Amino acid sequence: MGDCHYLYGNYMTVKRITFLQEMLGLLGLEERLGLSWISSAEAQKFVQVVSDFTERIRSLGPNPLHAYKENRKAAAAELMPLDFIGEGYDQQRQSMA
Amino acid sequence: MINNVKAWLEDGTVDAFLGYREMDHHPLPHCFTREHMEEVDDLVISPVRYPLEKIATHMTEMEPDIKIGMLARDCDDRALNVLYLWNQLKSENVRTLGVNCCPSRLKAHGDCSYLEPEKIGAYKKQVGVDNNLSPEALDSYGQKERLNRWMYEFQKCIKCYGCRNICPVCFCKECSLEHDELVKTGPLLPEIPVFHMVRAVHMAGRCIDCGLCEAACPMDIPLRLLYGKVNQIVKDVFDYDTGSAALDSPFNILGDTVTLEPKPIETAQAVNP
Repeated sequence: MGDCHYLYGNYMTVKRITFLQEMLGLLGLEERLGLSWISSAEAQKFVQVVSDFTERIRSLGPNPLHAYKENRKAAAAELMPLDFIGEGYDQQRQSMA
Repeated sequence: MINNVKAWLEDGTVDAFLGYREMDHHPLPHCFTREHMEEVDDLVISPVRYPLEKIATHMTEMEPDIKIGMLARDCDDRALNVLYLWNQLKSENVRTLGVNCCPSRLKAHGDCSYLEPEKIGAYKKQVGVDNNLSPEALDSYGQKERLNRWMYEFQKCIKCYGCRNICPVCFCKECSLEHDELVKTGPLLPEIPVFHMVRAVHMAGRCIDCGLCEAACPMDIPLRLLYGKVNQIVKDVFDYDTGSAALDSPFNILGDTVTLEPKPIETAQAVNP
């Protein structure tokens, strides 16, 4: 800490990332963000951290937000009890989208 | 109160006074001046709120040395603290006239449009987020349910920018929500949840919990709760109480005042044993 090329850079980063992790937690996505200090001389550590993180993301599966992007109705079906989605729902969303 | 305002205007304590004036039975925000002293007789404390401090910010923008007086509830006071801190207003140029304020966790009675929180319907209760929940109560939903409930709320958004326009502490000349590359003009609906999350991030250490955004939202998205949650995080992580005094936001303090450490990155096995 404090040993940063950009002076206060890592202090600012740790504040922002800690905050962001908490905030993503609001949406239940907090495990998808990580922070680690790696200097440019620590190639081994870099490889280790990145492969670990990749493994972890893979084990979590695809980002649930993609479902909302690609198919709002399918996502909506999961979102709410089916009987709430009337016939007009799809058309309505499409005409608005 | 009216005499007080008149005296201030007459002796030059303030050049303009922001309050509410009853016109056709509607209390509307109004700027009282020395030239139109007779209008001061119509000054009212309205239960309807407008961000008077935002009007003050705009006036100061045009005329930096103008002395402004205004009615101030607790939320206005908090907003003013934030605006002093961000150099949008000078505290020596603002005089406030305290008025009774809205009910909150601290006060039970007040003159405010927020007197009675609205009750939510059965449908919203089932799939959405109750506007009246406390930030802590949100955590009782599971991860997936929380996401679904918020996404239900966000997908209603019609990108009217009402929340930003009414917000007393939103003062940027260039708003990232209007940046061509980030949020394109034209297409509806906005990209969710990014649109709302961008605003939420900007509210960290700034939102003063006045609830105007939620009152302005035509789609009834629980914005006050969202920003309240964000500020709860700021409070928990940095022990910073937004608006209570004109103290620097933790995100603005440079240097080694941080004792935080990055959270260890758990391995795949730990996440998904």
